[in-house]
Amino acid sequence: MTQTLKSTRFGDVELADEAVVEFPNGLIGLQGTRYGLIPHGEDGTFVWLHSMEDPDLALPLTKPWSFFPTYEVELSDSEAERIGVSDPGDAEVFVTVRATEEAKNFSANLRAPIIISSGRGFQVINEADDAPVRALLFA
Amino acid sequence: MLMMTRRAGQKIILGDDITIEVVEVAGNTVRLGVDAPRAIPVYREEIWTAVRAENEAAASGTELPAAPAAPPDQA
Repeated sequence: MTQTLKSTRFGDVELADEAVVEFPNGLIGLQGTRYGLIPHGEDGTFVWLHSMEDPDLALPLTKPWSFFPTYEVELSDSEAERIGVSDPGDAEVFVTVRATEEAKNFSANLRAPIIISSGRGFQVINEADDAPVRALLFA
Repeated sequence: MLMMTRRAGQKIILGDDITIEVVEVAGNTVRLGVDAPRAIPVYREEIWTAVRAENEAAASGTELPAAPAAPPDQA
């Protein structure tokens, strides 16, 4: 089965049900609880997390370990309990990307990764020491 | 804003199921205990504010390097 995502950036996109993710608590500070995953380009480096409800709302994500091989996610017990994932290794982990005019200034938010498991997604606070909200991607 | 005075060991209750306890007061630091249903996320305000700012910046960033792929037929 597919669902239609309406996007000002991409037009109408047919998404497989598996590419639609429910965020019970939304994203921090943003509206909406249903997002679709839209691959960007062919190489899979970036993926768009696009609201199913707001055609204007989309955030680029990437998998942190392609850029930060030693990146670690540590969750507090209450956070792990809230999302029902105790080992982030069992889930898909993404970080949001801040795209700027110059690629050298692209950054990722390592403090608040997005964890997706079994069709549900959560933006969590990473308790690890070395997790800035703005880590340069191409430094 | 509602203001109230609490001492160490005293609590406030939000609704029926969120309890915030003043655990310890030491100098200018207050240690709080939050007891909330597990579905409710609890954040330190400065982290929440910084993450919201990054989310908003990510949502209003420039285009990504390569041109977006054609809409995936069955992602």
